[in-house]
Amino acid sequence: MESFTPLSATIGGTLIGSAAAVLWLGNGRIAGIAGIFRNLLPASHNALWRLVFLVCLILGVFATARLLPGLGAGGVEPVRLVEAPAARGIPTPIWLAIAGLLTGLGTTIGNGCTSGHGVCGLARLSVRSLVAVAVFFVAAIITVTITGIV
Amino acid sequence: MSGFKLSYLATAALSGVLFGAGLYVSQMVDPLKVLRFLDFTAIPTGGWDPSPAFVMVPAVLVMFIAVRLGKQRQAPLFDTRFHEPASRAIDARLVGGAALFGVGWGMSGICPGPAISLIAFMPDNLWIFLVAPAIGIWAGSLVMPRATPATVAQ
Repeated sequence: MESFTPLSATIGGTLIGSAAAVLWLGNGRIAGIAGIFRNLLPASHNALWRLVFLVCLILGVFATARLLPGLGAGGVEPVRLVEAPAARGIPTPIWLAIAGLLTGLGTTIGNGCTSGHGVCGLARLSVRSLVAVAVFFVAAIITVTITGIV
Repeated sequence: MSGFKLSYLATAALSGVLFGAGLYVSQMVDPLKVLRFLDFTAIPTGGWDPSPAFVMVPAVLVMFIAVRLGKQRQAPLFDTRFHEPASRAIDARLVGGAALFGVGWGMSGICPGPAISLIAFMPDNLWIFLVAPAIGIWAGSLVMPRATPATVAQ
């Protein structure tokens, strides 16, 4: 349990909720990252705020990592992507490509991700989002169990 | 046409910075941190990390309050209406899409927010996890007709 970090998790979650609140009360938009990324194209007047949001998302991570090194990820130890489980015999780049394809495909077909359905949908008491969240959590837990990735 | 207004773009910028700060502070940008939560097999051995639940709960609570506040207003501060996702359908598309995403998430520990956030650190192989989802999005829009803007959880 030494990796359990309830305080930083709670502070981080509050910041994420505040981000969603600002976008909702200011611009009436859902802070769903998959949706924002997906709708970058076509480049219309509605794409500009999405580009600004995503660039500032990266800047927010970058700046916080500089201000508070070691508090989150990427401070003391550099963040790494996972390696494919050795027992599966699939090279890591292929493994990541399959995972990335499924992530892009699934969030497009299912219209949302952990932020859109998770944070915003649940807060809106959307039954649709609740179903999506339950399905992707269960699918992810089963996947981790079967693949033995951890 | 609020898309070019400075106040509108500044709001998007502030939201993005807060979101990024939250993802970093909560360590949700670390794929292993997320996977240690999704690994329920570690519960009996005491190696399970429930931290992501402590991220999710306050995030939903703060947004829940914002949604309540929003209901008392006709419109958000800088636009003429709230862009509420209109779709209420719980169908094969929703469940199938969520299931595919869940498998991808479980294989990698990366959901879309962290995928883009990780550009700040540029870890090895990240480019794969930026190009592959883009191809997935393209494939998804071919398989499924593009939802009308009102139904997209933007």
